[in-house]
Amino acid sequence: MIIANKELVFQHEEKEKRAAELIIANRELIYQNEEKEKRASELIIANNELVFQNEEKEKRAAELIIANKELIFQNREKEKRAAELIIANKELAFQNEEKGKRAAELTIANKELAFQNEEKGKRAAELTIANKELAFQNEEKGKRAAELMIANKELAFQNEEKGKRAAELTIANKELAFQNEEKEKRATELTIANKELKKAEDGIRQLNEELEQKVIQRTVQLESVNKELESFSYSVAHDLRTPLRAVHGYARILKEDHAPSLNPEANRVINNIQSYATKMGQLIDNLLSFSRLGRKELVKVNIPMHDMVVNLCNEIKSENINNTIHFKINDLQSVQGDSVAIKQVWLNLISNAVKYSKLNSKPVIEIGSGVKGDEIDYYIKDNGAGFDMRYASNLFGMFQRLHSDDEFEGTGIGLAIVHRIITKHGGRVWAEGKVNEGATFYFSLPKNASL
Amino acid sequence: MTQEIDLLLIEDNASDAELILRALKKNNLANQVLHVKDGNEALTFLMGQGKYEGTKNIPKVVLLDLKMPKVNGKETLMRIKDNNKIKNIPVVVLSSSREDSDINECYDLGANGYVVKSVESDEFEKTISNIGLYWLTLNEPPQ
Repeated sequence: MIIANKELVFQHEEKEKRAAELIIANRELIYQNEEKEKRASELIIANNELVFQNEEKEKRAAELIIANKELIFQNREKEKRAAELIIANKELAFQNEEKGKRAAELTIANKELAFQNEEKGKRAAELTIANKELAFQNEEKGKRAAELMIANKELAFQNEEKGKRAAELTIANKELAFQNEEKEKRATELTIANKELKKAEDGIRQLNEELEQKVIQRTVQLESVNKELESFSYSVAHDLRTPLRAVHGYARILKEDHAPSLNPEANRVINNIQSYATKMGQLIDNLLSFSRLGRKELVKVNIPMHDMVVNLCNEIKSENINNTIHFKINDLQSVQGDSVAIKQVWLNLISNAVKYSKLNSKPVIEIGSGVKGDEIDYYIKDNGAGFDMRYASNLFGMFQRLHSDDEFEGTGIGLAIVHRIITKHGGRVWAEGKVNEGATFYFSLPKNASL
Repeated sequence: MTQEIDLLLIEDNASDAELILRALKKNNLANQVLHVKDGNEALTFLMGQGKYEGTKNIPKVVLLDLKMPKVNGKETLMRIKDNNKIKNIPVVVLSSSREDSDINECYDLGANGYVVKSVESDEFEKTISNIGLYWLTLNEPPQ
């Protein structure tokens, strides 16, 4: 631009110089023209002079010839000057042509200048646009710079975070390393513990073997103790029975041989001695049958419960012709068990129900069963004397009675036998009752006992 | 001892022996009874040894208590039944025990009967009477 401007200034200066030169040349032409007019007027005066001189010619004929000669000479001079004028005109025309040329050149130069100015305008506009563009770009750059600042801050934050995380990781790594160490320690400990465990296992195995040996020994001991108990219980039974028999027997002898000499009170006492001895004999027999139960192996078969109970009830009915007991026997599930033992259970339970119903004028004994899960529950329900539930836990104990002999006879062993047999079968016994409203005795047996 | 012995009672217990003998006496079966108190003496008698040498020692029945001191009932039974000379003599075991094991063991050893002694004296007396009557009057002993 600066160069272009300087060029422009230079061109202006040149043009002004040429214009000044043209002005000077014009002034010269004007001056020459004025000179020519002056000379023309001088020629007119000269002519007048000539006329005068012609007159004077004659007079001055001589003078004229001379003057003509002068004139010719002057003409020649004039011609010379005309030629010079032509040349000067040619010169002027040339100069004019030159001026035209220069004017055309100036026009062109002006056009060029206008064009250049336009171009400059265009370029200025372009520059403005470019400037705007630059400004926009600067703005964008500013925005980007701001964004970059934010991004930098973000990065810085992230770097910080990374730093923190790196620190955390370092801590975590240390922690891991520590944990690894701990794990290794534990692994070592575990190895040691495993070794100890193995030792312990070996120990346990040895102990087990010893235990098994001990169990075998104990079993043998128990078996021998059982045998001892067996022989003990029956020895006791014998030893107790013999003096009882003696008591009973001598009382009888007393009665047989000396009754006439004894008063009625003495006879009553003798009878009591005999009845208590008899009672004790029954107790001993029951005790023996109870202990026999404990030793006896169960022989499990399929028991048709319904038939068994119906037969038992019929037997009991035929033995008690006087009573009016109504047996209501519902469907009874068959079960696997020791037939003799289970029959004893029913006999004891039915006998009990009959016995404790004797005071009821319309005794009803209901027998039934129901399946509950893996077991079968059997029940026998009477409307007899019943019992106080507070003493229910005593019912199945040995020699436990809830009634006196005066009310209902008994040795207190029947339900103990029931309990023992059912327990041996893996079942349960229980009872519900209310005084004077009857009792219900239940027992359960496993449904699928292995045969 | 020239008296013939039809019934040998082996019983260590005095009261039982008295009740048994009383029951036999009631049925007039006690005249030819020998009561001994242990198995050794019973065997001495049956073998005709010692103080029983020369006596007729083949009773029609032997009533044997199982529980006795010294040589007990089962051993006595075994010795009788192991001996060819006396093994045919009927031996009825009198016992307080109703144990299956006792009963079977006695039969295995060759017992000819097994009777349980009742505590009740009435029943006991009846039992003894029946035994006496059966073995001494109804049964034909080996000759």
